[in-house]
Amino acid sequence: MTGLDDFLDGLVAEADAVFLFSPGRSEYEAIAGGETEVVVIGPNNDIDADVFVELPLEFEDLRDRVRFGVEGAVENGHVEEDADLVCLAGVFQDDSDTVTSVRADQFDKSGVYDLFANSRAEPSVIRNVLEVAVELGKKGQKGKPVGALFVVGDAGKVMNKSRPLSYNPFEKSHVHVGDPIVNVMLKEFSRLDGAFVISDSGKIVSAYRYLEPSAEGVDIPKGLGARHMAAGAITRDTNAIAIVLSESDGLVRAFKTGELILELDPEAY
Amino acid sequence: MQFDWPDLVRRLFSERGVFVVSIGILIFGAVLSYLVWRWTRRLLANAGVQAAVEGTPFERTARSFGTSTVGIISNIAAVFVYVLAILLAINVAQLGSPDLFWTRFTGYLPSLFIAALALIIGLVVGDQAKLRVSERLRSVKLPEVNLIPELVKYSIFYVAALIALGQLGVETTALVVLLGVYAFALVIVALVAFWDLLRSGAAGIYLLLTEPYSIGDRIRINDNEGIVQEVDVFTTRIESDGEEHIVPNQNIFRSGIVRIRD
Repeated sequence: MTGLDDFLDGLVAEADAVFLFSPGRSEYEAIAGGETEVVVIGPNNDIDADVFVELPLEFEDLRDRVRFGVEGAVENGHVEEDADLVCLAGVFQDDSDTVTSVRADQFDKSGVYDLFANSRAEPSVIRNVLEVAVELGKKGQKGKPVGALFVVGDAGKVMNKSRPLSYNPFEKSHVHVGDPIVNVMLKEFSRLDGAFVISDSGKIVSAYRYLEPSAEGVDIPKGLGARHMAAGAITRDTNAIAIVLSESDGLVRAFKTGELILELDPEAY
Repeated sequence: MQFDWPDLVRRLFSERGVFVVSIGILIFGAVLSYLVWRWTRRLLANAGVQAAVEGTPFERTARSFGTSTVGIISNIAAVFVYVLAILLAINVAQLGSPDLFWTRFTGYLPSLFIAALALIIGLVVGDQAKLRVSERLRSVKLPEVNLIPELVKYSIFYVAALIALGQLGVETTALVVLLGVYAFALVIVALVAFWDLLRSGAAGIYLLLTEPYSIGDRIRINDNEGIVQEVDVFTTRIESDGEEHIVPNQNIFRSGIVRIRD
């Protein structure tokens, strides 16, 4: 086993910091006693770690999880931008079973941490909307694939850059995303054309909105349709973010400042 | 206690028969107390008491003695029934002096039972309330805020103790007065401290119900003009050119708003 030990030692020898993804308390305490800096990344800080990055989604893909953790830690100044990192995470089970070594500048900054932490809307609202979109993508509307467009945050400005296609079903209602009944409502209304507008605090302001931003200079990947173009354009024109469920390929995408930030496959999530 | 049981039994049966009857009463009491024990257990379990008391210090203490809150309450109920049966049997057999000690004790027993029950319920509810409140306040990272759950807990303990003492016939007038003063002070402090919040809240409820303006409208309040970004119960947020005005809803009622249509 010495060969394997040597390999693992080599992997962790140069590490500037250790990233623990949703560790148990005993695991954290065992590792935090050492000399290297420890960053805990997880949905909540149950173990009262000193350095903590909140993970808003349970990213199934380890790459996404690591990317989010690294971007969050760099953004908050926990680690240097060129630091060597060792990540301990659970891929096949909840306990940590995987060691990866990564450099903080290994991948381009995708802005996925920025999407949650520095948007106008609250992170929990963005998470709830993403969850609705993912669920919608998984099940579709009565078995058929559906598309949907959610514009989250900066609702006042978005409302002024759009016009109603028909009566607003959410007129005089005060429901927020994340309320149990709302997921059903959103699912039902997703057959309507147009966008959902959601405010910073998660209130559903309107459905059935036709977005009219100026689409100049919006650069989104070729092959995406009008819905994605509208999403990219409205986020460039306002401080909102947009979450799109594609009708054709079933992927959930998030846009901010006119750029594609995050791509999730509902089936794998 | 009006009816003279022992005398009646004595007239119906012989000396020896009386003894048999009191033994019978004892056995019947034992069976009845067992049934009461089972019924209480099942009743409490069905009412979801077990889940409600989970995690409270009282339950944990009970656990460390190898029992549970449900167990304690049903035990108390069973013991209550059994002691009643024993007293009845003693009374019938006329072993002690009937009218002096035992009758008074029998009259006292239900109060004792209710007092014990009130104490247990008070302890559990107080602890549970404290847990709930601190759960709510968990997101508030302020050490001083821990005072509020404690305050809630001890207020409930105090009321429970008051009920128990009242049942036992202890003079509680002074304590009741203290409770009244405490409650009065709480109401006054709440009124003074939350006066603006209450008024904003009342205005906010009207605004949410009637929606004179909604998100996306351009409005002017006093000199603040902008696009409405958010309306909640207490405040309205309007934004213009990178400035966000957070206006208490009571201001909207006091000075009115201007909706700007173009």
